[in-house]
Amino acid sequence: MTTTPPEPALRVGGVHRSYGRHHVLRGVDLELPAGRLAGVVGENGAGKSTLLNILAGRLSPDAGTVHCPGRLGYCPQQTVLNPAFTVDQHLRFFQVAYDLPDLKRAHALLEVLNFTGYRRHRVAALSGGTRQKLNLTLALMHDPPLLLLDEPYQGFDWDTYQRFWDLAAELRDRGRSILVVSHIAFDTARFDRLWHLEAGRLVEGAGASAAPAPTPAVPR
Amino acid sequence: MRARRAWRRYRTATGYALVEHLRNRLALTLVVFFVPVWITLVYLVIADADVRFFLRASEQTITVHGNHVSKISGAINAVTLIVGFMMFIVTYRSAWFDERLVMAGYPRVHLLAAKLTALVIAAAVVCGYAVAVIAYYWTPAQPGLLWLALLGAALAFGGIGVMLGALLRGELEGMFLIVMLSIIDMGLQNPVANPASDSDIVRYLPTYGATQSAVTAGFLETTPVLHLLLGPVWFAAAVAVAALTFRLRTRDRRRALLPVLRRRARTGGG
Repeated sequence: MTTTPPEPALRVGGVHRSYGRHHVLRGVDLELPAGRLAGVVGENGAGKSTLLNILAGRLSPDAGTVHCPGRLGYCPQQTVLNPAFTVDQHLRFFQVAYDLPDLKRAHALLEVLNFTGYRRHRVAALSGGTRQKLNLTLALMHDPPLLLLDEPYQGFDWDTYQRFWDLAAELRDRGRSILVVSHIAFDTARFDRLWHLEAGRLVEGAGASAAPAPTPAVPR
Repeated sequence: MRARRAWRRYRTATGYALVEHLRNRLALTLVVFFVPVWITLVYLVIADADVRFFLRASEQTITVHGNHVSKISGAINAVTLIVGFMMFIVTYRSAWFDERLVMAGYPRVHLLAAKLTALVIAAAVVCGYAVAVIAYYWTPAQPGLLWLALLGAALAFGGIGVMLGALLRGELEGMFLIVMLSIIDMGLQNPVANPASDSDIVRYLPTYGATQSAVTAGFLETTPVLHLLLGPVWFAAAVAVAALTFRLRTRDRRRALLPVLRRRARTGGG
């Protein structure tokens, strides 16, 4: 008796993307099974964010296909928040967007990322690192099967950086698939799979040399 | 159940749209100070001499008090600038955030309806305030109709603000366009500034209907229904462009179109 292998959380085939004459992606193939923590690293300008924007549906590929059967959580590289709203207001707005019955998961994430004390603060008054924590929380709070995270730990202090990896491992162990895009090939041992984006294609294994640890930021 | 969910989404988005307006300190400062300062300066500076005004709304040329008609055009200028600015800023600054909400599952129609509700509420309050300031110096023939006429002008520019916020990529461009459009619009229609304001060209300006209605409200007892509706028509047209832009910007682009088109071209399929 044969069993059908489970459908991957993400399947990408032959994705091309150019900006004018500049060919950024030249045939990206990728398959991410359920319960995997994967990374894509590359130099600045290699096309990592372009790739993630295509995977998230924000950008059209010139050619190729992207297939993800379930919901996804997308954490963009720049914090996409509304400075007029408080942290709590963001959570309630996205609770309605995701159609969640409550905010238990979101509040648990605030605890894990250590910024529960900022719930009533407006985003305009938050530090860059705390904004990034909220940026990440909005991508995770509906517990989707696939997470696309673009430089998710930028601006984090060392403690939050460690907490992020613990959280990522916990999500992976619960069957979630996580694709992290980063310009630094640091902590590569944490990934189940690692690709290096070189000349517009994904190459298995890290080609970049180890970079220094992120500079700890001063939490506010 | 579906209706309750839709109501929840609309109510939540409307509440947040109003919060955004209330936290726009520059706009609030403009509302509180710019409207009375502008109308007061008109009252103090503009001559009282009578001017002729061609009122297409009733197909007649009327002679009106120059200072009073300038207070009306000053009020239209103030409310269009403020509401246009408010809507442009809110739409422009929250474009990426709204896109993220749509990606998270928020229906576009609820977000857009919420923004328009907030626009109507904000415009109604600003126009009520402007009528109150005018009434402090002079009692127009129909203050309620004057409020409706100002509301039409504010909605037209609010819609234009939403449209520019959705279309443009630079904040300065949008601000400049709104200011220039309002200057051209009012500069060409005010009979004190432009004695030839009965030209046919003014009929194509965004606040043409509002100006005709407002002057009627100031000096006559008639109600120019069709001219009153021109402001909302401008509003609807501008919002339709904004909605289409928002729809295109927030669509799921994961399916590549080019391979499909190329395949069709090769096979001759339609």
